[in-house]
This record gives sequence, structure tokens and C-alpha cells, in this order.
Amino acid sequence: MSDITYLPGKEPHEKEHRLIFRNVDRKGWNPKIKTYLAEGGYEMAMKALKMKPQEVIDEVKASGLRGRGGAGFPTGIKWGFIPPNNTKPVYLICNCDESEPGTFKDRYIAHQDPHQLIEGMVISAYAVGAHVAYIYIREEFPEAAIILEKAIAEAKKNGFLGKDIQGSGFDLEIYVHRGAAAYICGEETGLIESLEGKRPYPRIKPPYFPAAIGLYMAPTIVNNVESLCHVVHILRMGGEEYIKLGTPRNSGTRIVCVSGDVKNPGYFEIEVGKVTFQELLYDMCGGPKDGRTLKAVIPGGSSSKILRCNETFQIGRGDDAEEMTFWQLPLDFDTLAAAGSMAGSGGVIVMDDTRRMSWVLNNITHFYAHESCGQCTPCREGSTWMKKVSDRIEDGKATPTDVQVLEDIAYQIDGKTVCAFGEASAWPVEAMIDKFRDELVGETSDDNDTRSAERIAQEQFLSSVPQ
Amino acid sequence: MSSKIEAPRPRSIDRSKLSYISTSAPNDREVPKSRLIDRSAVEYIRPVLTVLEKNVHSPVTPGVVHFPQFKITPALEKAANKRIAQYPDDQRRSAVLPLLHEVQHRHGFISPESIEWVAEKLGIAAIKVVEVVTFYPGFRQKAPGKLHFRVCRTLSCAMGGSYELMAKLCEITGIDRGSADTHKDPISISPCGNYSVEYAECLASCGTAPVCLVNDDFHEGVTPEKAESLITQYES
Repeated sequence: MSDITYLPGKEPHEKEHRLIFRNVDRKGWNPKIKTYLAEGGYEMAMKALKMKPQEVIDEVKASGLRGRGGAGFPTGIKWGFIPPNNTKPVYLICNCDESEPGTFKDRYIAHQDPHQLIEGMVISAYAVGAHVAYIYIREEFPEAAIILEKAIAEAKKNGFLGKDIQGSGFDLEIYVHRGAAAYICGEETGLIESLEGKRPYPRIKPPYFPAAIGLYMAPTIVNNVESLCHVVHILRMGGEEYIKLGTPRNSGTRIVCVSGDVKNPGYFEIEVGKVTFQELLYDMCGGPKDGRTLKAVIPGGSSSKILRCNETFQIGRGDDAEEMTFWQLPLDFDTLAAAGSMAGSGGVIVMDDTRRMSWVLNNITHFYAHESCGQCTPCREGSTWMKKVSDRIEDGKATPTDVQVLEDIAYQIDGKTVCAFGEASAWPVEAMIDKFRDELVGETSDDNDTRSAERIAQEQFLSSVPQ
Repeated sequence: MSSKIEAPRPRSIDRSKLSYISTSAPNDREVPKSRLIDRSAVEYIRPVLTVLEKNVHSPVTPGVVHFPQFKITPALEKAANKRIAQYPDDQRRSAVLPLLHEVQHRHGFISPESIEWVAEKLGIAAIKVVEVVTFYPGFRQKAPGKLHFRVCRTLSCAMGGSYELMAKLCEITGIDRGSADTHKDPISISPCGNYSVEYAECLASCGTAPVCLVNDDFHEGVTPEKAESLITQYES
């Protein structure tokens, strides 16, 4: 790997371990199949087609790969959920609806290395027995949709897609399906509804997960772009070797996207759990801008709970319990869950001491109010209420009880909706109030009048009418 | 003072263009002239708008001159058939989004006629197309400007200065965003019809904030100072 050179200014940091992003920002690299084949491309797909599908699934299970979309569910186990006596066609869907604020990894895979994704999809489709696969790409990536369609046509021409791939008897067609700028389409059942040509209202689960009843009521596997790309590397290295990367239960590498108030924001592919926040934010991102200090960090996309930079956490239970400061926390699924947040989609948003938390909260609530699909009442109404109350706090027109009102609304949404959007919209608000209550209350005043103009007019009218 | 109460005039609707609305509605029936009946009352009943009619209403904007009017062409049919072939034969409804993208790409926005065409093409009721069009923020029902700016307003970009970028773009292009509403009316168009702006939710490039899409081109690191050059690079 040492012969790879990268574009000036885009060289990976020495603490990175690049698998998926090996070809991103590489000198002389382009998304054409010729370039990909020269580097041993599609060899793993050919290897997989000579194995039995169950062997591929076992390999992925052995690797301990956890989904990189946000929930961190083990990919191999998800594949195993397809009913054994199934007679319907199986579908594979690649979730390229990357819309979690703070995440920008799939963009680079789709733009710069589309064949890696297609190879991963060929292997995965073979493993789960799918003959039709869809790439659901968000509307905001018009260029990537064209690149992917070109790459699919190239792969088809070279015999890596279509009928009887390289004489193996396995057929696979991949189609690109563009979404239309709805965040909820990133939720897998919402995505399936959208692919069926309906409004993307998520489906109730359990009992029937998409692996049992999904697209067109047939078994469907929905995987994130990054997860599908990892499958290629699992086959290359072998599950046994792959699990040695990272830490136990958090194997492999993952792409962490850092944005916000640091000197060098960007993407870093790290071994899961091998890098702490201190190393990530100071060594890799260059620390805060001059003259500022870091205040808070959202560790896994805007839906995850915010962490204060001066916090300490109790990680582990009983005798194993360990006290850790924020800076000592490693970036993996389990530690961040123990710290009360989540690793989510790997989008780290950093805020320094110049940021007003009421402003940040306001921005986040506006996002969720806009993106709520409107299926469940607590979320549809609650997200709009949270937006209105946070508008008031940000404008300095709120009373101290408004902070309590906001918290109450958030807890009324949490856990009361069909999909995880309810939690996604409530958690940031709950955590923000929990961690920065004093600051938020400090922006309110007892003298403020929170009645609406209509209400004031109504009360004035009523008081003017003789009783 | 002589006061004659005039019946309000009906809003004219070209029903021939909306063939999916039943033409045999009771208030459309011919009333015999011989009957002594106040005709203005009959006229008054007629223009009650159905939900469908309200939703497919496309206001005319100054940007409409930049886009060809919706017409079913062989090229559009060919592109549509290619998209429909991506899905199983009994699941043609899946092609709603791709077909609407084809229409919007060619004609700038989704017009009532194009909704009808999509519905007919897929063999589904028009309301099933309308419900999709009205849900997704990616579909617009009025013509944008020749240059359509979609500025990301989500956290990382907002910290990088996207609110200021939007203000600057509006200042240069003379757009008034006073009546803009994120849900009902997100797009604001300049009086000349050449420019329009809209806030987008996370364009997934937070590391290079602030970012924006100009038509289908993606631009990153567009600080408010670069707003001027962003516009001029399209004008040459």
C-alpha cells in the first residue's frame, strides 16, 4: 500500500487505517472500471461466486461487522433473518440516502469509488440470493447518480453484472433509484415505501422486519453504502483477520466525519475504538481555532446526544467500572452508548466556546420540524412545538418555564412513534437541556410575555366586554 | 340608495385540462332555461374546489419563461419507459419518483398536466401521484429561476455562515424572502425570473461548509464573500 500517493493536502493522517477510503483523493485515480480492475477489482466478487452463499454469510458473521448507517446492527445476522422457506424473490437495497447532519462519507464513495460499492453489492446479493438490487440515492447527489449509472453500465459491459456473471450462473441487475430530498427515506422501511412509489411513512416493526417482509412484500435486505463496501474487504482479508482490526465487539474500520469548529475538518478512516476524542480532535483535526476552546461535541450525527467537553463518565459496570473524561473516550459503538450517546453514523460536529447553545438547539429543532414525515402525532406536532419554543428561547423572548416545557415535549415524543425519528428528534433536545440547562435558562427572563398576539387581542377584547 | 346584491363570480377552472375530475358532477348539469331559477346560485355552487384541484394548483412565476411547457415528446416517453423497466411488471407504481424527476428535469417543475401524464403512464389514480409530489421537498410545483440556489442551512453549514450566504445571495439577486415558508412555500424567485433561492436540509458535505447546489452543480466552501463570484461564473 505504500506506493499509493494522495493529492497534495489530502494525505491521510498516520493514525488512519484506510480500507474503504483507500482510493479517495488518490493521485491518478478515477471512477472508471479500468482503473479499478488494474488494482485487483472484482476479484473478491469472483471469489465469492465460487463459494456457497452460506459461506459468504458465515465469513461476514465471523468478521463481526456492524452496520455503519447508524444503528450498528451486525450485518451478517441481518442477512441471516431471511426466512429459510422463502419462495418470493429477495431484494437487496443499498441505502445511499445519506442525510444525517454531520455525515459525509457515502458522498465520496459514490463519487470517487463507485465500483467498490458495486462489487460489495454483487457479493452481498449473491450471499442473500437477490437477483435485483437497488441503490436508493438521495436527490441532492445528482452527479453521483450519473456516476453510479455509468459505473453499472461499465460493469455490465465487462460481465460483472447482468445474466450469468462470469459463467457462474448467478444473475444480478442493479438499478439506481433517486429519492426526493426527504430525510425519513434513510429509515429502512420508509425507504422501502418510497421505493414502492408512496409517501415514505415508516412501517411498524416488529414483528415483521424488512428481511421477512420488505419491498413488494418480499424479503429485503437494506444496507448502508459503507457496510456493503466493507464486505469486499472482509472477503479479501477473511473474517478471522478482519475482526483483529479495531476492538472486540467493535471490529473493523469506520469513517468518522468531523465538521464544525476545528482547524482541519474532514473525514478520517480509523480502527473502531482505537482512537480517542483527544487524538481525533487535537492530533487529527488540529484542535480548536486560535484563541478558542472546545465546548461541546455531537458524536454521531445530529440525532445523537450532545456531550460536554468537560464531562466525566462512568464506563462499565460493577468492578470493571472506569472513570473516563470526555477526552479519553474511544470512538466505538459500546463506549459511546455507555456514555449516554451513540456512535450513530460517525458524524462528529464540534462546537467551541463562541457558540450559543440556544442557537444550536434552534437550528437542530428546525431540521427535525421540517423533516418529520407526519405519520405519528407526537412527532409531527411535537417537533413543530419544539421548534416554536426554541425559536422563543433563541430570540430571548422566553420565560424560564419554557425550558421545562421544551423538555416535557421532548419526553412526550421519545418512544411513542412508529420509527426512530421520534427519538432522533427528541434526544438532542433532551441532552441539550440536560447538559446546558443553566445556559438556556440564562437566556430567558421572567418579564417576558409568551402569549401570542392573537391571545393578547382576545384577552383584551374579553376584558373590554361588560360582564 | 339602490343596492343590488351581486352573486360572486366563480373562479374559472379549465375543467377540460383536469380530466380525472368527474365531468358528470351534479353541479355541472345543464339547467333548463325555462325553469324559474336564479342561475347565479347555480354558478355559485360550481366552483367549490376539490382537494385535488387545490393541491395541483401551480402558480405562475417569473421563472416560467426559462422552461419549455410540458409536452409529451418521444424523448420523454423513451426515458420514462426505460425507468419503468427497472421495476417488476406488476409494480409500475415504483416509477413515480423517477418519472417525476424526468419531468422536473426537462420542464422545471411539476405541472397538473404532467401529474396526469405520470398517472396515466403508470396506470394509477392521479391522487397517488399528487400525494407524492406534495410530500417530497425535492419536487416543486412552480417554476424556479434559471439559476436555482439550494443553500444548506443545517448545523455545520450554519456555523460556517450559510445564513449570511443566503442573505448575500438575496441581496445581490434582489430576492425578497419575506413570504418564504419552509413547509408551504420554500422557494423565492427574483422579479426578473433569473434567480431563485431555497434552503436545503443537509447536503452531506459538512466538512467543507458552507455548501450549496446551483441547479445540479455542487459547490463547497462558499463563504458569503464568494457569493458574488458564484453568480458571475454562471453568467459568462
